[in-house]
Amino acid sequence: METEILSGHIEVDEKMYSQYQLADMFNINPATAAKGLNLLADANIVYKKRGLGMFVSSEAKALIIDKRKSQTLGKLVKEIVKEANYLNVSEEELVEMVRVEMREKGDSR
Amino acid sequence: MTVVRCENVSKVYGNKNGTQALTGLSVNIKENAITGVIGRNGAGKTTFLKTVAGFLRPTQGTVKVFAENPFHHIKVAENTVFIDGTMMFPPTLTLKDILQEAGRFYKNWDVQLAEKLFSYFALPCDKYHHQLSKGMKSTFHMIIGICARSPLTIFDEPTEGMDSAVRKDFYRTLLKDYLAHPRTILLSSHHLNEIEDLLEEIFIIHQGENRLHLPVDEVKNYAIGLTGEKKVIERICKNREVLYKREISHQYIYVVVKNDLSNGERVQVEGDGVKISAVSTEDVFIYLTQQKEGGIDDVLERS
Repeated sequence: METEILSGHIEVDEKMYSQYQLADMFNINPATAAKGLNLLADANIVYKKRGLGMFVSSEAKALIIDKRKSQTLGKLVKEIVKEANYLNVSEEELVEMVRVEMREKGDSR
Repeated sequence: MTVVRCENVSKVYGNKNGTQALTGLSVNIKENAITGVIGRNGAGKTTFLKTVAGFLRPTQGTVKVFAENPFHHIKVAENTVFIDGTMMFPPTLTLKDILQEAGRFYKNWDVQLAEKLFSYFALPCDKYHHQLSKGMKSTFHMIIGICARSPLTIFDEPTEGMDSAVRKDFYRTLLKDYLAHPRTILLSSHHLNEIEDLLEEIFIIHQGENRLHLPVDEVKNYAIGLTGEKKVIERICKNREVLYKREISHQYIYVVVKNDLSNGERVQVEGDGVKISAVSTEDVFIYLTQQKEGGIDDVLERS
């Protein structure tokens, strides 16, 4: 759902999928889908309109980017550093690896 | 709202020395939710479901279904469909006849859906029930269970003998029909990982008792796995209930404990070089229903 908002498939103030649509899309119990939606609401990524459903908030994109940077990316970086330490990879070497990877990604774009 | 209410229910088959299938089981089943009834072989799943359906009279305790005692009760029978592998049908009716006749028993019967599913799963119309293979019988029963749209729908191991493609189609059909027509569904299975996405609540029966009854997401977070040096792990496990323990090597050990670590404790534990991992609902189920201390490794070691 977050990826859908990030990629702009669902715009600000547009209606989010309902728990029943989500249940159908992901083949999950609607109660589980509702809990997922509530998590987004708690994070202010969506807001509730009584009787109408959930809508994407104006700060949704910024919030998601922020959260992913600090949580997902932060965690991955921690893991990488840990692994690098195990393998005795130096800081310069690691940074260089990241640089090469980013350049390659950039070229292919 | 609660549809099924069991209080201190026991069931002994035969005389006093007979098999005890349920031992003081108490549980409330939520209305219009899909609840998975999970247990090891012989845990009492079928006895529980048959008692709820009104097929069996409990030896002790009270069972209420739609606020009535379900045993041979017409109102309960009318609103319940019970599906298992041993269903019997009149031997003179073809499968197609049965689909037509079922409408007289179930007031919400959807004959169109039944016929569509029937042809989708390529069941032979003019054959008789006893001519079907095990998997096809299960498929046929499943169609009846879904199309009856009973307010209380009970599936006792419905996927026995079905191939994996049919099983997937069955779960999808059940979910979609439930979304369109919410109802109370009890689904028993050995394969928790296969059905957990479908469920709202998980009810684990162990040795005839209620071992655990929680929403699925709480079972997912019920326990955590810790891998690390023996000394460190043993310190952490002091004053904690260890659900499972396996020695990886002389120094390293893997344990499963209840997920009651505070954020501070987590950071501290990770700082001590312990790896924290999630424990799947299936594994939670296995550890909660372990017969004895230790697992299969202990048996194999001795032999």
